[in-house]
Amino acid sequence: MKQRLPFASTGCCGPSRRVFLADAGMGFTGLALGSMLARDGIAASPTHETWAPPDGKPHFAPKAKRVIWIFMLGGVSHIESFDPKPAITKYGGKTIAETPHKDVLRSTFVKENVQALEAGNTRHLRMNLFPLQIGHRKRGQSGIEVSDWWPHVGECVDDLSVIRSMWTTDNDHGAILQFHTGRHIFDGYLPTVGSWVHYGLGSLNDNLPQFMVLGEPPGDCCGGTGAHGAGYLGPENAGVPIEVDPDNPLPFASPGPDVYEAEQKREFELLKRLNRLAGVEYPDDPKMRARIKSYELAFRMQTAVPEAMRFKEESEETKRLYGLDHNVTQPFGEVCLAARRMSERGVRFVQVYHGTSSNKWDAHKALKKSYTDLCEKVDKPIAGLLKDLKQRGMLDDTLVVWATEFGRTPGAEGASGRDHHPYGFSIWMAGGGVKGGHVHGATDELGFHAVENRHYVTDSHATVLHQLGIDPRKLEVPGRKRLDIDFGNPIKDILV
Amino acid sequence: MAKGHTKIFASCFVVLLLVTALLLFQAGTLIAQEPNPAGADYFPQYIQPVFEQKCFSCHNGESSVSKLDLTSREGLMRGGAKGPAVVAGNAENSLLYKSITHESQPFMPMGMNRLSQQEVDRIAAWIDAGAQYAVASSAGGQEDEEWIKGQKLFSESVQPLFESTCLKCHSPETKASGLDLSTRDAVLAGGENGKVIEPGRAKDSKLYKAVAHIAEPHMPFRSERLPQETIDSLAQWVDAGAPFEGKLEASSGAIRSTHWAFQSPRGPSVPQVKNQAWVRNPVDAFVSAKRQEKGLEPVGPADKRTLLRRVYLDLVGLPPTQEEMQAFLDDDSPNAYAKMVEKLLDSPRYGERWGRHWMDVWRYSDWYGWPEQNQVRYSHRHVWRWRDWIVESLNDDKSYDRMVREMIAGDELEPENEDMVRATGYLARNWYMFNRNVWLQNTVEYTASSFLGITLKCARCHDHKYDPLLQTDYYRFRAFFEPHKIRMDRVPGEPDTMKNGLSRAYDAEAGAQTYRFIRGNENNPDEAHPLSPGVPRMFGNPDLRIEPKDLPPDVYYPAIREFVHKDLLAKAEKDIKEAETSLAEAKKELAEIKDKLAEANRSEPRLLADGNRAVEAAGAEEVSATDKELLDGLRHAEDKVALAEKRVVAARADLPALEARIAADKAKYGTLSDADVDALAATALKKEREARILKAEADMLEARQELTEALLNPNPKPEDEKAAKEQSVKKDGKEDDEKKFADEKRIKEAQSKLQAALDALKGPGETYTAIGESYPRTTTGRRTALARWIANKENPLTARVAVNHIWLRHFGEGIVSTMFNFGSSGQAPSNPELLDWLAMEFMDSGWSMKHMHRLMVSSNTYQMLSSAPTESANREKDPDNIYLWRMNPRRMEAEAVRDSLLYLSGQLESDMGGEEIAADKGQELFRRSLYFQHTPDTQMTFLRLWDAASPNECFRRSESITPHQALSLSNSKLSLEMSRTLAGIVNDTVGSSPDSASEFVGNTFDKLLGRLPTDEERTESETYIREQTALYVDAGDLKRFETGEKNEKVPPASDPHLRARESFVHVMFNHNDFVTIR
Repeated sequence: MKQRLPFASTGCCGPSRRVFLADAGMGFTGLALGSMLARDGIAASPTHETWAPPDGKPHFAPKAKRVIWIFMLGGVSHIESFDPKPAITKYGGKTIAETPHKDVLRSTFVKENVQALEAGNTRHLRMNLFPLQIGHRKRGQSGIEVSDWWPHVGECVDDLSVIRSMWTTDNDHGAILQFHTGRHIFDGYLPTVGSWVHYGLGSLNDNLPQFMVLGEPPGDCCGGTGAHGAGYLGPENAGVPIEVDPDNPLPFASPGPDVYEAEQKREFELLKRLNRLAGVEYPDDPKMRARIKSYELAFRMQTAVPEAMRFKEESEETKRLYGLDHNVTQPFGEVCLAARRMSERGVRFVQVYHGTSSNKWDAHKALKKSYTDLCEKVDKPIAGLLKDLKQRGMLDDTLVVWATEFGRTPGAEGASGRDHHPYGFSIWMAGGGVKGGHVHGATDELGFHAVENRHYVTDSHATVLHQLGIDPRKLEVPGRKRLDIDFGNPIKDILV
Repeated sequence: MAKGHTKIFASCFVVLLLVTALLLFQAGTLIAQEPNPAGADYFPQYIQPVFEQKCFSCHNGESSVSKLDLTSREGLMRGGAKGPAVVAGNAENSLLYKSITHESQPFMPMGMNRLSQQEVDRIAAWIDAGAQYAVASSAGGQEDEEWIKGQKLFSESVQPLFESTCLKCHSPETKASGLDLSTRDAVLAGGENGKVIEPGRAKDSKLYKAVAHIAEPHMPFRSERLPQETIDSLAQWVDAGAPFEGKLEASSGAIRSTHWAFQSPRGPSVPQVKNQAWVRNPVDAFVSAKRQEKGLEPVGPADKRTLLRRVYLDLVGLPPTQEEMQAFLDDDSPNAYAKMVEKLLDSPRYGERWGRHWMDVWRYSDWYGWPEQNQVRYSHRHVWRWRDWIVESLNDDKSYDRMVREMIAGDELEPENEDMVRATGYLARNWYMFNRNVWLQNTVEYTASSFLGITLKCARCHDHKYDPLLQTDYYRFRAFFEPHKIRMDRVPGEPDTMKNGLSRAYDAEAGAQTYRFIRGNENNPDEAHPLSPGVPRMFGNPDLRIEPKDLPPDVYYPAIREFVHKDLLAKAEKDIKEAETSLAEAKKELAEIKDKLAEANRSEPRLLADGNRAVEAAGAEEVSATDKELLDGLRHAEDKVALAEKRVVAARADLPALEARIAADKAKYGTLSDADVDALAATALKKEREARILKAEADMLEARQELTEALLNPNPKPEDEKAAKEQSVKKDGKEDDEKKFADEKRIKEAQSKLQAALDALKGPGETYTAIGESYPRTTTGRRTALARWIANKENPLTARVAVNHIWLRHFGEGIVSTMFNFGSSGQAPSNPELLDWLAMEFMDSGWSMKHMHRLMVSSNTYQMLSSAPTESANREKDPDNIYLWRMNPRRMEAEAVRDSLLYLSGQLESDMGGEEIAADKGQELFRRSLYFQHTPDTQMTFLRLWDAASPNECFRRSESITPHQALSLSNSKLSLEMSRTLAGIVNDTVGSSPDSASEFVGNTFDKLLGRLPTDEERTESETYIREQTALYVDAGDLKRFETGEKNEKVPPASDPHLRARESFVHVMFNHNDFVTIR
């Protein structure tokens, strides 16, 4: 039987009661802690005697303090962004078999790369080559080729490590979930990269969520909120969505002037004590723990979030940098600006989504038109973020990751589109101790297979965690077996 | 630069290819009217004469120049020095073709004029069709052995293969991927992705590659690879030029699937398990058997308090009151629990709770669009009637199959029964202003996913990739809905359907055609093959019995109903009264201003009572501001009276016009016997014209008055400082021009209206305006047929999908966790036997949902504890509790959180149904949450933060835990106010003196959490109340929150001790156990 999606997972390896009490800060007096433990037999030795949750400190010296993870939903065409392939244009209109590169079809990757829903049912490979729909040129000192749809990010190319050799196994949009958890959607909703960071590291700012989500998450088909979920790590480690709306930064941000600040503070303290007391009955309930933490955070967010969303504090120059002065770039510009402001305030992992159902990168048809529009919306804001981080000196310890679930077929789908392409695609990273102006890995001449330095999606996780000073193997939770491929390997070549 | 050139060249090349393709395509269509180029007589008739005249002189067997012999097919295929002269099936790549089109050297016929375009086209078509020399070719004189071999292969293996296997999807009707394999022409034409065979070249043919599994898509679709000998025969047949005879038809037999969900539930027998004592009903037996198989032991039963709170929140969405809890605890009878369950199922609150669940699945949304203009873009006005139908149906325990039938086809089943017709709000919800295809798309796709658990939406553009659903299945499913549209009927008491009405489905166009959209592109319908309604072929070919039905006049002409006339007449009478009242008021105003004028004249005689003329005579500069105001006032008042008089006259004319129209309508639709239809219509027309002219005159006058006003006072006096300020900024006079322009436009419109009315009086016949719209007199019966098929015991999916939804909402996880997808890409059931047994039981009970609730909540499975020791063998074996060795704890849904807050504080109103309430009133109006506006654009913020259903798609709610939820309970007006109110209620019970603090704490725990506090909890709470009281006593220096609103209606208590109790209740509403269902 296929594994089920544990939506209602309560986790087998929730902490023991002892851990729960310790973790929830059971340090107050007046409580017969010892007797309670004895009553429930918790004082007896638990199975995982030597295991303890992470202490929030990095395992080795980190290169980056924080991460901004920008994810384009739908699958961005790699060959028309960061991995241009003139051969496709050269042989445009021909079938792949008619080109000197017909070997790509015989590659073992064709079958082995993809874990289709049903064995052997690979998606159409799209044989008729579709010429590149946009030009490209060498950019920056490094001369890395970037398409003309990304002129602003192209200006920053000397700060980027472009990885042109990613591959994944899901040939449908479940690959969104896969990119974040490292597993096919059939394997369920497992912890995502952001939740591992949240779980493994302490907070840089207790007033804001440590793992924050901006932009509209993918639909239920493709992971939904699971793409920033925490799976068995429990909901307290899941990403917290924040709406970027400077006019109404936080619903219910204040109880109004009838209420004293001290009064509310004491209410939250009592609530914490009562929840902890009740939680003793349910030491395995990760939801209880998450609820307690959500109140602690909420208390501090009341002021911290509205403060962080005060865009008017920014100079006109900065606003222009993100394109806030133009209605096309403004919406995503605000998201990128919010990401910078949150990072600046110590949010450890900001996960930014772009691409909703009406605005999708999933160009099955009319690729040229839709990408012309989409790139105009995001190119300047993303470049603005990079430039802004750099001028503030933040880029050194902020790792920016730009990714998408898969690339798009070199062949045409219909008359004007490209299909899903899990065999080879591009992402890039910037700052946080990665090289600038660097290209790593390559696809073949047609951009079909990742052929040089191939990387499965979890290698991006490993790189992120490595830069943050975390050894993911030390985070492993008893009873939850992880495979080698779940951990991935840091892409050492791109590191400074 | 060089690169730039390459690109230009490349794109030119593409254009060239396209042009060539286009030309060929056109050539193809020309030829299509001629005999089949693959036919036996094509060569002798069209090709041979050309060859004889222009080619054979050089290219014959004896003196074959460049070794090419064109007199036989063999020679043609063997070719000359440059290789084969033709590639059969591919003229474009054939040397012969290139030569005669002068695309490449040597240009042929050598030394002669080029062949005519028609000759070239024919040769091209002939090559494309395989370049067959006729069997009885007089020139060749010999039979083509290959061809004969091919014919044999065709009849012996290709035809049987096509008929038994391929034509199911590739017939003229089904045409999967645009490919039809029923005739040779069709085979050669290929499909959407181009040609499928190259006659003479099997290895290059898509058909061969697909069948041999060399290239995608592997064929036959979703089946085993064919035997090698069949594949070889097919290849040899193509190599032989693919001869083909006649038109093939699919042999009977549906597409089969072995996937579990597409087989009927088997009705498994209830298993015997070891732990028979644990089994209270068959649900337990199935769960127990699965646990036994997995080596799991059930945890113990929940205590009575936990259980009662669980079942209350589950069935009615509200916690038990203290009294109900106590009564249950005191009831020692063995059927105490069963009695409670019955009581809850009988409560009208049940329908509200479960109605909301089904609203999730059926994606209920109130209308939304452009609220500023009151413009509906999605869903429909008054679709809340459907919501009320859902709630009422559940409370009545209407059978599920009947509910499905009423939602899809209530207007066809009982057209006059408006209670039932409300159900078609299900269809109205998909209405979409801008695109009929999007509207039907949602109808098709969500009908498939919510009732059948199939992801038909994948088949919109292509055959389903995982399930045996064809693209044509999608469109045949759509054909059931093709004729229907949504209309708005009047309801008694309100003639204006903007204010109230009934949105209902009806069949508007019986003849509306359904076409498959090629690759899902609505701009590319396959118009050659209209599709009739049908269910997906994998379900076989059930007898759908689509029978049109005649509708009664009340339905096809709803304006004939008595109440419509009554309401309209009452409104006309009311309009007259209002016009008369306005006139009286205007007259009164005029009298007053005349009095003022007279008064002014008396004190300083400089104005005459008839003002204007005297002033004009005196010269404008002498008119003071006060005088001007008086004079303007006089003019306004006079204008107003004049207009009001016209309006009265017009309103009075409206009533007889309306009466005459009603009489004419009644005559026309036969409710008035022996009436002279024509005479009544003529009278109605006459009276209507009169009324219209009078109204036009009034409109005209109004427009004139406004224009005069605009000209006299181009800059009306600013109403306030702000307006003055704005005006001082905008001094360019642009606004004035705009206003003048607008006024002129208005008077022109009024003039043309008047002219039109006058013309109508003179002009020839026109008909009176009917009271309402009329609709078709029959309905197609298509939706009835579909609904009957879905809501049917024979359907393998319907009951399973429904019981799975019910199970999810009782147990926190479905038996199939992908509620909307029971296909092969969905998740397998955790307990298939249980699912099937439940489905059978559901159907056998007459699809009674209450029966299923009773069964589920009465089971021991439901009554288990939700907690378990941290260390247990169960946890190791089944950490996610998939096999139910304990109950799943859950969090209250958004509505339950808000409703319980209100309910426990005694504030929840029990009124049911009615128009949706504005979402932003959620903090002030205390109706149940399901009655508030809920659309993708507008939702109550409070509910949204608690994961309310997405109105576009919600088969199951997500269960997040966020700081926003914390803030909504700690800072919302609602929670603060309810805390204060509830504290008052508890005080009334326990007394408000500080001595009763302990009792207060116990009572609050009992009320809010359904349990009593532990000693530690009690101590903590009492200490808190004491210390908090002290805090308020010395509140002088305390800092208040600066933002937000004060609550004037329910402020905090002024007494420090009472305020401390309020604060404590507020904490309790934020308690995790309040929102948790253990």
